[in-house]
Amino acid sequence: MNHTVFGKFAAVSFQKEITYRFDYFMAVLNGFLYIFIFTALWRALYAQGASVGNFTAASLTGYAVVAMVIRISFSMDDTTIAQKVRDGSIATDLIRPVSFFMMNLAQCIGFSAFHTAARGVPILIFSIFLFKLNIPFTAQGMAFGALSLVMGYLILFMLNYLFGLIAFWVIEVFPFQLMKYGLLNLLGGSVIPVDLFPPFMKPFLTLLPFQHIFYTPAAILVGHATPERALIMLGEQAVWVFIMGAASLLAWNAGKDRLVIQGG
Amino acid sequence: MRYHLVMAYTIEAQNLVKTFTVNESGKGLLGAVKALFSTKKRIIHAVENISFNIGQGEFAGYVGENGAGKSTTIKMLTGILVPSGGVARVNGVVPYENRRENSKNIGVVFGQRTQLWWDLPVRESFEILRVIYRVSKGDFDASMAHLSKGLGLDGLLEMPVRKLSLGQRMRCDIAASLIHRPAVLFLDEPTIGLDVLAKENIRSFLRELNAKDGTTIILTTHDMNDIEQLCKRIIILDKGRIVHDGPTDELKKKFPHDKIIEVDFEREVAALPLVPELEPIRRDGKKMWLRHANGSSGLALAIGKLASLYPVKDLSVREPSVELIVRSIYEKTAALPAFAQGEKAAE
Ligand SMILES: Nc1ncnc2c1ncn2[C@@H]1O[C@H](COP(=O)(O)OP(=O)(O)OP(=O)(O)O)[C@@H](O)[C@H]1O
Ligand SMILES: [Mg+2]
Repeated sequence: MNHTVFGKFAAVSFQKEITYRFDYFMAVLNGFLYIFIFTALWRALYAQGASVGNFTAASLTGYAVVAMVIRISFSMDDTTIAQKVRDGSIATDLIRPVSFFMMNLAQCIGFSAFHTAARGVPILIFSIFLFKLNIPFTAQGMAFGALSLVMGYLILFMLNYLFGLIAFWVIEVFPFQLMKYGLLNLLGGSVIPVDLFPPFMKPFLTLLPFQHIFYTPAAILVGHATPERALIMLGEQAVWVFIMGAASLLAWNAGKDRLVIQGG
Repeated sequence: MRYHLVMAYTIEAQNLVKTFTVNESGKGLLGAVKALFSTKKRIIHAVENISFNIGQGEFAGYVGENGAGKSTTIKMLTGILVPSGGVARVNGVVPYENRRENSKNIGVVFGQRTQLWWDLPVRESFEILRVIYRVSKGDFDASMAHLSKGLGLDGLLEMPVRKLSLGQRMRCDIAASLIHRPAVLFLDEPTIGLDVLAKENIRSFLRELNAKDGTTIILTTHDMNDIEQLCKRIIILDKGRIVHDGPTDELKKKFPHDKIIEVDFEREVAALPLVPELEPIRRDGKKMWLRHANGSSGLALAIGKLASLYPVKDLSVREPSVELIVRSIYEKTAALPAFAQGEKAAE
């Protein structure tokens, strides 16, 4: 898919979000609410004298805000593929000379771009002042962080894509989505930084891609990871991007031959 | 007409088969997983061993009752459904193996759904399609001028698709399928739910598209007037099998001397054993359509007998329409013996 087509799909999806965002203020409020809850929670734990990994009270607040802002900015519509399979409108996508994967990615980027601009950025700016956040923005941290954000985004996109493709096999995808939300909430790092998990959880974190979605970029951006550690984390993320990419390709090739276009 | 040594068809279907396997899907995650491994399966034979070749510039009607397998065939030819058996080729490309390649050469309209962007003005949908199909601005403007005139799109282009009426939307959808000037056009019920005038507009546009641009067209429809007015060839499908394939006027010539009598009875009449020369071919409540072979000779006598022996309220005599002929082919149980006789008589 060339960049003009890609840009067009992204722009349309961005525009669509604008027209349908009647609940915009609710969504912003909701984002703040989450940030308040988690920062308050961590502060309370500190006040109790709990030791929270190698975080300080201030750095954990910073982490909580940044991770939540990333999560808000990475908003994706993860129901479209299943919806299109169910009502047969996937036919319309498939009669065109475009890659299904790239089309979905473009639309996803348009969607997230809206949420980043309309919710993520304002919430971040407001929170920095509100919580007097002291994030050590260094050039290297920002560069690593940006790279990590891109890879985290791709991993989440492909995770949603793969779970969307389940609809090619089964009609009822909701239970799988629930499982995905559960794992993402628990292991993604937007609620709990993964350093806080007990050692027995380590294999789950390593063998699954979730920690590389919110935790890795957030930890790098707030300077929680040392530059050496950040490099290793970026390498791990890259491996996951590759694995998820290969899985997406395989799943598509297996699924497209058994896809049943409903209706007509 | 000049024949090349190797005659390549635009659309080829060879022994196409599509079976759907439906398994009982339970509720919840467990049910969904169980369904994956379920052995309780129901097989639906949607398309059973279909073969036909359609040459460049042909306008073929593809008809059959609900569930006959028309849409399933179109889906396989447009590359979005993989056949369970057989081969299809469109412009020499196997559609379901080279979906994207194939999609550059074809236009598709699924009458039941739109391919336009629901919330965008029609013009913007067209612009997106222009970019997708890599049509140059110049070619696009030329196409648009032509399509807009032929389909009467003036005044619709600035409207969001969701605000269009069905007929308006269908015209826009047909235009959308032609932006890249495809050599082949697949139309799956493009006249569904349209009024007579809207149908007429679309028909005259399609007629011209086929005649002037030489676009090869396959049209599925339940309206036999579409077929009669547009398609030189008719392919009739019944329960997944082709039961007739030939020129549309030949279908009529099969019954050159037949007359059809449309009768309204006072009450429902089950059969007409006392007038064997009038053969029932269709029934709809108190209405019945009767076929009289041998043209006009003996027709008056037969009608007289009918009117005196049965409670006739009203009747009219007509030429057999494609609609009735096709129907008599669908309803094989009652009509097949007669149809076979008709064939013999025609020979
Ligand atoms: N996704 C599916 N799963 C199971 N069976 C299907 C599926 N799609 C179609 N069928 C079955 O295949 C047969 C052919 O369906 P198809 O949609 O091709 O009919 P059609 O000729 O287009 O009918 P209509 O005139 O009603 O549009 C039907 O019996 C239908 O129930
Ligand atoms: Mg159909």
